[in-house]
Amino acid sequence: MKQLGNVLLAAAVVAVLAAVFSVSARAAEPVAAVALVTRDAVTLRAAPRDSAAAQTVLWRGEVVEIRAERGDFVQVWDHQRERGGYVKRSQLLGVGSGEQAAPELLALLGFVSEQPGSETLGLALAAAAIQALPGAALQGPDGARVLDAIGRQAERLAERASQGAQRSQDRAMLTAHLDVARRHGVTFQSIEDGERVRLCYEGDAHRRLLAMPAASAEQQARAALALTRSDCQNPQARPGEREAADQARAALLDRVPTTTLAAHWRARLATRQASVWSGLAFARAQRGDATAARSAAERALQAIARVDRAELADDDLTRHTEAALRANAVRWAAGSGVAPAAALSITTRKLDDGQTCASLIDPRQKAAQPLAERCSWGVVWAASASVNREGNAAALAVQPIDGWRELWVFRKTAQGWTVQVLPPAALNPGLGYAELAGWVPGGRQMLVAREAMAEGRTVRRFEVVELNTLTPQRTAFEPDALGPFARWPDAAWKRDSLALR
Amino acid sequence: MLLRLKSLTRSVRIALARLVRRAAPGAASGDDASAVRPLRAMPSVSLRPILLTLGVTAAALGAGYVIVKHPPVQQLAPGHLALRTNQLTGDTTVWRSGPVWALPGLYQVTRYPLQDQTWHAASMASADGPSPAQSVEGLSIGLDLSVRYAIDPARLTAAKAASLPERLVTQIVEPAVQATVYKIIARHTVREIFSSQRAQIEQEIEGQIRTKLAADGLLLRSIHIGKIDLPEDYRRGMEVLLTEGLSAEKMRYTLELREKQVKESELTASAEKARREIAAEAAGREQVIAAKAQEEAMKHVLPFKQRQIEQRKLEAEANRVSRVQQAEGEAQARRIEAAGEAEARQKLADAEAYRLTRVGKANAEQMAAEGALITKHPLLIQKTMADRLSDKVQVIIASPSQGGFIGNNLLGSVARAQTASTEVDTDNTEQ
Repeated sequence: MKQLGNVLLAAAVVAVLAAVFSVSARAAEPVAAVALVTRDAVTLRAAPRDSAAAQTVLWRGEVVEIRAERGDFVQVWDHQRERGGYVKRSQLLGVGSGEQAAPELLALLGFVSEQPGSETLGLALAAAAIQALPGAALQGPDGARVLDAIGRQAERLAERASQGAQRSQDRAMLTAHLDVARRHGVTFQSIEDGERVRLCYEGDAHRRLLAMPAASAEQQARAALALTRSDCQNPQARPGEREAADQARAALLDRVPTTTLAAHWRARLATRQASVWSGLAFARAQRGDATAARSAAERALQAIARVDRAELADDDLTRHTEAALRANAVRWAAGSGVAPAAALSITTRKLDDGQTCASLIDPRQKAAQPLAERCSWGVVWAASASVNREGNAAALAVQPIDGWRELWVFRKTAQGWTVQVLPPAALNPGLGYAELAGWVPGGRQMLVAREAMAEGRTVRRFEVVELNTLTPQRTAFEPDALGPFARWPDAAWKRDSLALR
Repeated sequence: MLLRLKSLTRSVRIALARLVRRAAPGAASGDDASAVRPLRAMPSVSLRPILLTLGVTAAALGAGYVIVKHPPVQQLAPGHLALRTNQLTGDTTVWRSGPVWALPGLYQVTRYPLQDQTWHAASMASADGPSPAQSVEGLSIGLDLSVRYAIDPARLTAAKAASLPERLVTQIVEPAVQATVYKIIARHTVREIFSSQRAQIEQEIEGQIRTKLAADGLLLRSIHIGKIDLPEDYRRGMEVLLTEGLSAEKMRYTLELREKQVKESELTASAEKARREIAAEAAGREQVIAAKAQEEAMKHVLPFKQRQIEQRKLEAEANRVSRVQQAEGEAQARRIEAAGEAEARQKLADAEAYRLTRVGKANAEQMAAEGALITKHPLLIQKTMADRLSDKVQVIIASPSQGGFIGNNLLGSVARAQTASTEVDTDNTEQ
């Protein structure tokens, strides 16, 4: 009896242990196996056959739950569409869960995130990696890598969407990809720029990345540059809102550590800083805050001077030209504000309606009427006033809008003094400047440097302009090609202007 | 004065009586001494010097004691006032500082402190105490009352000083307080005393006591009424009442606070509205200025665009004229070329026709000559064929047939031509 009792006891212990193991094994099983769709236009079929009816079409990067396996097919459930079906096994990528799956997911993410066209799959892998990584690792370099990958892919996808697709099937794929990205939490903003709409990444991953101490300098620089893109700013914003946004952009760029940054990234950062500080300088000058405008303009000029053109990539050259145009347009804000003494002087006065009037005055005539006067809604850079040796012409820089600086020419004629305006180019105002490069002795000609980026065109010219008609008599793409530019250039222009960069 | 004179007369009379009594015992005591003297024979020792010495010593000691106990010069401590009264004449002198000569028996010196004194009305402190105040309802009320007073040196004349009692508290302050407080408290209800008119009552009491004390040369510094002790039952009901009153007051104040908060919110909202309006106006103005600046920049560009367009038009016109002229020139050149070409072709055709005629004639003449030659030498045909085939055919094996020549089939045309030429020759001959 005693032996029987022992046997029964042992059996009971074994049964309890088995039950415990079975429960623990059940608890260790993943709740649901998840797979990512690795190709575009994958058909979800009603049965595990190629000839079966198509339920819907899945796109690269979509997430489905694996329910069962039937030969080469996998039975899946699409939670987004609330529809089940069969998909070929070769078109799916099983995603593991838990910490042990994180290295594989990170490796896959590192590869896929560099493949153009696979942005949605990369975003899905990043989402899986975030789920797999433990909390501490998410705050470390691995987390920074994932966020960086999300930001880069979202930017690339937005760029693809903004460029559009030529073929109809590509357009459908693009729309589907944007939809898949939105499902992964990546949102885009539509920026109306003239007649076209640009898609821009909202920047959540970039902002999170900038807040992480573990992010590398390059990652921070990339995030800061992505968040401060000029073409993703709201063009309909009011001047005050735009200034506040520019201020925030400048602060964001200042946060990036540059000591450990590679030279080309430093150049990109400086280029963007020059662009942003130029905008700020103009906004402050238009508000009437000359001191703040001066500091901003100085920051812009210092930033553009830090750029080493040899370090710039081909893609960055256009941005550098834009930044240089902007910085050169506001370079008079960094000046002393006092025009050099001459036979004639130009004074400015503010009207109640917001206009600024520039008056040409002869100091030798006491309490005399201005020789000529013209008003502008823009910013009149009084420090730029220059009078030729003969005293029959004067030039003044006036900037009506951000990044577009005109040259006003006061000219003495038989009927009196006249004021004519020389824009940077005969194009719709964009970015550009027209500036005095020197006076040609004789009082009939002047040297003008003009550069503009507008209507999709880039213009850079050095001209010998006839004062009477303001028409160029001789034009060259480089100043060395024109003799007057070698003989009579203004020393201050040669020293300060970015036209000779 | 009369009282003093009386007391002086009385003291003189008493002194004279003492002198008379001192002279009389000589006779009386003489009888006693004679009765006693025979009993004891004492040696004759003179006691007079001893007694004199003892008397002088006693007198000196007594004088010293008197001087020590009643010094003729008294020091006046700072902050005190001395009142010296001549006992003979009744003159009063007020001393404020320094030593005061006060011969004992002649002068009487009374000191008064000039510092602030405080008196606490202990007897009326409790409602159950010996002398509580009575309210208008007849309820006993205890007042914890303290009086702070001082002698007013400015108003203390010699005459007034003479009338100052030694115990100011009991003889001036306390009666003045009681006469004032009981009277004032008796005009008010407990509620007024306890809460609503406490300050006014305190002020009234203070005013009246001040007046009364000032009449006696005292200066009232302050009066403080602390705890007011009510009968227990009344206190309980009063506290409930007061609590309710306080609640009502609190509600009133709460409502006032709310009203003020509402007003503050209104003002804040108005200020915010004004600020926003100003900000919106400024932003709108900035927007307008920016738009006008944009328009201005566009305006400045337009003439140059117009000039550019005109220039392009002129260039296009010049180009058109140039191309038209070029086309006209080309057309004319082509016409000339075509005419020349036609003429050239005509010439070429004529030349060709002439050449054909000439070639035909030459051919005919050659054929006629060949025909004549073949007719004259028939084997010439075989020879010619053999010459032509000599480098193409190495061995030709064929049976001679019908005339024996292998190239008959090939030469059929030649034969036919020969026949034809023969016929032509015949025709020509016939013609």
